[in-house]
Amino acid sequence: MKIRFTLNGKNVVLESAPLKRLLDILREDYHLFGTKESCGEGECGACTVLLDGKPVTSCLVNAIHVNGKKVDTVEGLSKTKLGKMLIDCFDETNAVQCGFCFPGFFVSTYYYLLNDGDNDLEKIKKALSGNICRCTGYQRIFDSVKIACARKKVGE
Amino acid sequence: MQFNKPKDLNELLENLSISQKKNYFLAGGTDINVQIKKEFIKDGNFYYINEIDELNGIKRKNEKVHVGALTTYRELLESDTISEHFPFLQRSLTNFASPLLTTMATIGGNIANGSPTNDVTPPLLVLDAELELISVAGIRNVSLTSFFTGYKKSLLKKDEIIKGVVLSIQAENGYETLYKKVGARKTLTIAKVALAGLKKIKEGKIDEIKLAVGSLNEYPRRLDKLEEYLNNIMIRDINKNTIDEILSKEITPISDLRSDKEYRYRVCLNLILSFLGINH
Amino acid sequence: MGSVRKFDSKPKINGSWKFLDDYQSEDMIYGNIIYSKCHHGIIKDIHFPNDFNISEFTFVYAKDIPGENIVPEPVSDQLFLAVNEVFHYGQPIIGVAHPNKVTLTNFIKKIKIDYEELPAIIDIKECLDNEKNHFGREITIDHRTRDEIQNSWIRHHNVYYMPHQEQAYLEPQGVIAEYDKQDGIIFVRITAQCPYYVKSGVESMMGSAVNDVVIETSEGIGGAFGGKEDFPSLLAGICSLLSYKSGKPVKIVLDREDDIKITTKRHPARIEIESYTDPATKKIEKIDIDYRLDAGAYQTLSPVVLARGVLHTAGGYGFPDSFIRGRLFRSNTPPNGAFRGFGAPQGFAAMEAHIDGIAAEMDITTIELRKANIFNNGDEFPTTQKVTEENLIDCFNKVLEISDYQKKLKSYAQWNKNHKDKKGIGVSLGFHGGGFTGNGEKTLNSEIKVVLEKNAEVKIFVANTDMGQGAHTTLAQMFCEAIDHPFEKTKVQLPNTSKTPNSGPTVASRTIYIIGNLLKQLALELKKKYKFDKLESYIIEHNSEFPLELRKNYIQPTSVFFDEESYRGIAYKDYSWAACVNEIYFHADTYQIELIESWNVLDIGRVVNEQIALGQAEGGILQGLAYGLSEFFYKPGFGRMSGFTDYTLPTTLDIPKIVIEFIHTDSVTAKGLGEIPMDFPAPALRNAFLNATGIIIDEYPLTPEVIYKTIKEQK
Ligand SMILES: Cc1cc2nc3c(=O)[nH]c(=O)nc-3n(C[C@H](O)[C@H](O)[C@H](O)COP(=O)(O)OP(=O)(O)OC[C@H]3O[C@@H](n4cnc5c(N)ncnc54)[C@H](O)[C@@H]3O)c2cc1C
Ligand code: FES
Ligand code: FES
Repeated sequence: MKIRFTLNGKNVVLESAPLKRLLDILREDYHLFGTKESCGEGECGACTVLLDGKPVTSCLVNAIHVNGKKVDTVEGLSKTKLGKMLIDCFDETNAVQCGFCFPGFFVSTYYYLLNDGDNDLEKIKKALSGNICRCTGYQRIFDSVKIACARKKVGE
Repeated sequence: MQFNKPKDLNELLENLSISQKKNYFLAGGTDINVQIKKEFIKDGNFYYINEIDELNGIKRKNEKVHVGALTTYRELLESDTISEHFPFLQRSLTNFASPLLTTMATIGGNIANGSPTNDVTPPLLVLDAELELISVAGIRNVSLTSFFTGYKKSLLKKDEIIKGVVLSIQAENGYETLYKKVGARKTLTIAKVALAGLKKIKEGKIDEIKLAVGSLNEYPRRLDKLEEYLNNIMIRDINKNTIDEILSKEITPISDLRSDKEYRYRVCLNLILSFLGINH
Repeated sequence: MGSVRKFDSKPKINGSWKFLDDYQSEDMIYGNIIYSKCHHGIIKDIHFPNDFNISEFTFVYAKDIPGENIVPEPVSDQLFLAVNEVFHYGQPIIGVAHPNKVTLTNFIKKIKIDYEELPAIIDIKECLDNEKNHFGREITIDHRTRDEIQNSWIRHHNVYYMPHQEQAYLEPQGVIAEYDKQDGIIFVRITAQCPYYVKSGVESMMGSAVNDVVIETSEGIGGAFGGKEDFPSLLAGICSLLSYKSGKPVKIVLDREDDIKITTKRHPARIEIESYTDPATKKIEKIDIDYRLDAGAYQTLSPVVLARGVLHTAGGYGFPDSFIRGRLFRSNTPPNGAFRGFGAPQGFAAMEAHIDGIAAEMDITTIELRKANIFNNGDEFPTTQKVTEENLIDCFNKVLEISDYQKKLKSYAQWNKNHKDKKGIGVSLGFHGGGFTGNGEKTLNSEIKVVLEKNAEVKIFVANTDMGQGAHTTLAQMFCEAIDHPFEKTKVQLPNTSKTPNSGPTVASRTIYIIGNLLKQLALELKKKYKFDKLESYIIEHNSEFPLELRKNYIQPTSVFFDEESYRGIAYKDYSWAACVNEIYFHADTYQIELIESWNVLDIGRVVNEQIALGQAEGGILQGLAYGLSEFFYKPGFGRMSGFTDYTLPTTLDIPKIVIEFIHTDSVTAKGLGEIPMDFPAPALRNAFLNATGIIIDEYPLTPEVIYKTIKEQK
């Protein structure tokens, strides 16, 4: 079937099987390799993208779900002002280790900053609880997000 | 596998009425995609229902609130209507899957998948929720307590789908509440034991109590016998052994990779006793 | 202590850094492994589905192997592809490839293999409790000094069981092999820790069928923790053969389910300890340790894990009389392998629990007991190696201080009197020897290469990989800081066996300790030789002498001698030390342990990059805590896990506050850091539970089910 959607701000049309995973569409059809596959069943968040502005695990979203919607991936979001600021925050604390989970953390945090952005540690933990990281102990990620929350407030 | 995208509810119901094979509905897809991957689903008719308006939305009608089957967890967690009238329900849902899953996962999909471990059913059971089932023949309402009939079995007929959940606006009023989901970790976890409870206590006496459990039987259920024993009893007269005895007939936990039946049983008992304020 | 930023953070976050599956090429096809679903049996028949066009597939069997059907390992006993008999679930039988990934997956799902089933051991206790299952070399460390056991000494005897642990690197195993027919060269790109191990793997597989084998890692290695030490050799071998046969580049990326089911894990262990303590002095006078590992169906690198295990299992205590016996046991499960800690976490999990067990039995505090036995200057390891410092004592004192241990201990005892739930606090000690065991570094003879370019750019060529531990940043930093060269102009090159000398594997906490210090020496020698103030200005002034290539080999100090037969001598030149206090809250209704806070004091010598070191430590400590609390892979009667739904890793909501302090950071030497954080946290958690409840559990992890069972049995 033909699906039409907005990908990182651009309107696109694609011929796809209706159940094809959004994750595969991004990687195979658009060569957007920032969205990663780790578990393929919603358990890790490495494949997180925004669907109509809300975070989803793209390994569980089908082509047909995407039709008529807006998809934002790490590639698009990282070029925005907010995205760049957030990347700086992660960078400053040397939070990143292997990095495989980070595009996912980036997207979840991006959503959190846009929709809440409160400095509260418990809220931050909750917002990131769908993203698994095996390398870090998460502490540095929390530190970075706190810095980002503060900077976003100042920027506003 | 046959794939269909009906344009509206009528077309869907028409299709269902003549369908020969087993029907699957793609709502949020969080469950069905895993099933496909694990090859639990190999053949059947697939219907994409996620954009059928008639199945969507949280609406208040007089003393009832209708929650459409396609309502997502995120919508439930963010809904003002739910937080105003059903704060207990909303609190119960906070440990569902992860924030990423809540965007897609629907309440209809959760009930329909019929898993003994599904999170939404125990709290809905103590709220005396009703389900609206719809087919070409029309809508019928069934109480959630009678909906499940066995492991992954329910009253849902082959040509029917769940239209929504109906709650009475007073369902939580005046109760003390308990919801506990016990899992291997705090989030992204399948319940080993789930317990939902409502109680009204007056002057040391249980005026009313409702208890429902998940992950302990072939499907989530109310503890009718235990409720019967506890209703109208003075707390100080409650006999722990009687509770144990009744409970042992009402729940049938199993051992699996995730947990042990003895553990599940004991935790359920502990949680009930604690909810009743009984030392143990 | 510098805190240079990692050069690769930003591209990793924005998704442009390339991991294995992000590499594409035009005519690439997809490969996979068809593996045994039988634990032990004879292959009788293989049925392929008939609704596929078989001619589109490439198959490789054991009989197609041009070289040797043996994966090179410390003990080379594992086959690339099974011949007639399979010895474990997950054993590769056939390699298969097809241009379409989906078709390949569907095809594999429909293949049926018939086996004649043979007896199999898959249960951990069944394997480890039965002496008959012992195989391979037995190691003994005999430091017995007295024959008599005095009557007043208190005997404490216990058996401890430790589970599997899955590395759970987020990037699954993957490889791309490309056979160039013209030149007869196989090029392999892989997510792996040790490019030269992969090289010898592919060479073994291909034999004289190819002229050369070149291994290059992917830009990103999405976590490894030991899990990408030896399994990649097997995967690369099969993939290379598929490429050789099909003439196309072949990519294999394991699905998570397959990855978990067939790759290596941390060895389950059974450790039995018998000790005699003098109640007057609280000195443990005599100790006897029986250390057993479940190696799986083949030995592979398990003997090396065993060696490190027996060298660490006696803990940081100066026992005057000790006897340690280490053995591998065979089971019909995939070979277990490397995982951060390499035998030490099992050892400490048992030993540190044992110490608290002795204290409980003698009714003295665990602190008193540890203080009476902890390594003092002049004490001896069981190998007779002399302890020449008291840094472990410093770690211990410091951690008691920053955790406010004594005060908490008292106040929780009080609190627990009036509450059904319990609070508890526990301690543990640990250490980790840096680099390869014994004479290993001598044998390795690691070589590094540095090229100084005309524009003063420094290119570092080492085979050590950056799998997230920040090695490439820290290595560059060590070179730069030694001679004050700008960090921006110093870069570790992507490991490629045709350009990078063999500086050894990225294992054994050796990257900074051996290779980093070697780079630092090279930089200092350079400065001495050319007498420059700034390398940059020197290069400008003497531009015609550049580019200049320099090489240097690691030479093990002659003071280091280890007798591999008697297990006496200097097992490791330098040790990192650590002490830990964990605080827990026990929920009586659900039997769940909640982690509240974890305090950790580490002596890793000089800290090159504080933020990177803290990040490493935090991650390792969390893995260690999860090892003690929740991670297991096999349950008797219910088998092994198959994905992240069952194998639950800690999420952001499950973690305690983690406090870390490094001490003696002004030392000259930067010692090993990679593994020690994993070594010690689990027993401190177990001891905290003992402190909270008085209940002794000698089996890890302390799941609520195990706790409930223990409580029930005690009643
Ligand atoms: C990583 C992960 C974590 C999870 N965690 C939890 C958890 O914590 N708690 C929990 O309870 N569940 C959990 N689940 C299961 C699942 O997400 C939920 O059951 C979810 O609510 C299903 O809704 P859906 O809309 O995605 O269903 P779908 O996948 O779209 O459908 C699921 C099933 O319901 C049927 N169905 C859907 N809608 C209807 C309808 N209106 N009428 C009749 N039948 C219908 C479909 O035919 C299908 O069989 C988890 C799943 C994953 C992948
Ligand atoms: S790959 Fe989608 S959640 Fe793990
Ligand atoms: S940085 Fe490696 S998994 Fe998060």
